[in-house]
Amino acid sequence: MPITEPLFNDQFAGAPTKRLLDFLLRKRQSGVRGVGLYCSYAPFELIRAMGAVPITLCAYSNKTIAAAEAVLPSNLCPLIKSSYGFITTQTCPFFELSEAVIAETTCDGKKKMFELISNIKPMHVMDLPQMPDEPEAVESWTRMIRKAQRFLEKTFSCGIDDDAIEERIRETNARNRMMSDFFDYAARVPAVLSWSEMYDVIALANVMSAEELSAMLNPIFATLRSRCDRGEFHGVPGAPRVLVSGCPINGDSAKVFRLIEEAGGTVVALDSCSGMKLFSLRIDEATGDPVTALAKAYLTIPCSCMTPNVRRFQAISVLIERYKPDAVVDVILQACHSYNIESHRIREQVKSRHSLPFLKIETDYSDSDTGRIRLRLEALLEQVSGTGPSGPA
Amino acid sequence: MVRPLITAGVDIGSLSTEAVVLDNGRMVCYSICDTGSFPRRAGERALEEALSRAGYSHEALSYTVATGYGRNLVSFANKTVTEISCHARGARIVDPSIELVIDIGGQDSKVILLDPEGTILEFTLNDRCAAGTGRFLEKMATILGTDVEGLSRMGLSSDPVTISSTCAVFAESEAISLLASEIPAGRIAAGIHQSVADRISSMVRRVGVRSRALFCGGVAKSGAMKQALEKSTAMSIIVPDQPQIIGALGAAFHSYDFAVKNS
Repeated sequence: MPITEPLFNDQFAGAPTKRLLDFLLRKRQSGVRGVGLYCSYAPFELIRAMGAVPITLCAYSNKTIAAAEAVLPSNLCPLIKSSYGFITTQTCPFFELSEAVIAETTCDGKKKMFELISNIKPMHVMDLPQMPDEPEAVESWTRMIRKAQRFLEKTFSCGIDDDAIEERIRETNARNRMMSDFFDYAARVPAVLSWSEMYDVIALANVMSAEELSAMLNPIFATLRSRCDRGEFHGVPGAPRVLVSGCPINGDSAKVFRLIEEAGGTVVALDSCSGMKLFSLRIDEATGDPVTALAKAYLTIPCSCMTPNVRRFQAISVLIERYKPDAVVDVILQACHSYNIESHRIREQVKSRHSLPFLKIETDYSDSDTGRIRLRLEALLEQVSGTGPSGPA
Repeated sequence: MVRPLITAGVDIGSLSTEAVVLDNGRMVCYSICDTGSFPRRAGERALEEALSRAGYSHEALSYTVATGYGRNLVSFANKTVTEISCHARGARIVDPSIELVIDIGGQDSKVILLDPEGTILEFTLNDRCAAGTGRFLEKMATILGTDVEGLSRMGLSSDPVTISSTCAVFAESEAISLLASEIPAGRIAAGIHQSVADRISSMVRRVGVRSRALFCGGVAKSGAMKQALEKSTAMSIIVPDQPQIIGALGAAFHSYDFAVKNS
């Protein structure tokens, strides 16, 4: 039975960015300070500990890429080009709401792009260790978090004490547990949540406190429970379930999700930083050293900038067990070498350990490749539904 | 007496369109026509032609599957199936134990790996780039003052010169400068085929090498291409009688399956 009741009953139906902007605008208007972020490695708990709100910045529109290419090479990741274009064309309202920006040395393209925008607002770049299992990594990242803390304290003329950070660690854990309960509805067979509904919630969950998130999720959980009671689910009956992994996807690259649905599939798991990845973070509580606890936790984020990135391989198996996909799609943004190369081993694991069909899609933010992506996705889903060679010859 | 079950498959490609008609799962007729600028009409024309050759009316047709890049443009199809699944199916019809399919068409090329039962294990496509396609050969043939068939004849018995450019546009200027430096046209023709074969061969290595591969699509009619692929992949390359209709044949058999399932 198809879904009858939307998750949100507000004036922002179909416009999750406006809903997010509205939330952040209200925050800022009530005097809450705002810190802009580009990446999951930014320690959200520091920002919350100083009473500020983290603001995720624009990075997902094709519109700003032409402007960016006046300076940046065209053969660069569209996420980096778009982010930069948003800044130079002054079209990112979230950047306008931010009083400072925290960035990290994740990939080469990003760190060089950050150099180009470093003089617009107070910006702090954190030097991210990329061999997370080396004994020095935690020590170094702990120091980098402390440096970011001093940057925030100086920029905002405030003090952040360890007790406040500890409190925010507990909050993150509580928030992530709530989100896990939410994602359980996508794990159901058939799924009672769509990818766009997950995105609607994720966008707000990223910037909300645990209390705000709980207030938002309670009616949503009620809606989801009644969907289950009524036997409602998302997508066509028997639709192949798809896990999407790889680079962050949103805005114009969300075309991949739409194409999966048009090809007859249902997106049930979102294994990227724009999806579920950050919500699986668990930070040790009551260690007496909250910043080291933060450093240890954040270094477990399975980004392809890490080497070896063993946790991504563990995580994808956990996701496959939990969300029971029929196929895995790895989305690689153009020129993202680390995810692109890693895709080979993800493919091997998905095929050999889980015996699932796998497809790598390389794309950018334009819609020039929708035809070729559609063909590949349809062929992938035909593998699942069995339109392959069979029957009498 | 068995009631006749007429099914059809239509493969609407960028350069040519093919239709295959089956009577109770046995091929009775096929047709091939140029796609031209109107893929929808080409699909209708090809189907019309194949049906009339077989002596059937449209009404006799139980089920039609459309495939190829124009598959979603036609209204006569009961269902669309991707050219990946159709080529896989068609290949197993003409060679029931084949596990590797190479298709080089007008504007794309694909390599499909099958398990011993014929289920698709892996596929890879080259599109968005002319090199490694029929269009590339057409372009290069023009430079040498011939057509694709002539290019094949020229290239068959010559020692290939190395064409290093992987871009169709740059390969074109490379061929022109090779001609200018008085390299024999036959060696250039052989080099052109080898450069396409090398691209296909890296796609083959990506999905998995087998001892034999079925080579289909319009370009499979080129003897020089077959030779170059054998050299580059070290596999035995099998070209079916009508390499162009493999996609339509697969579509017709998928069509047959759906018709049987529905009846």
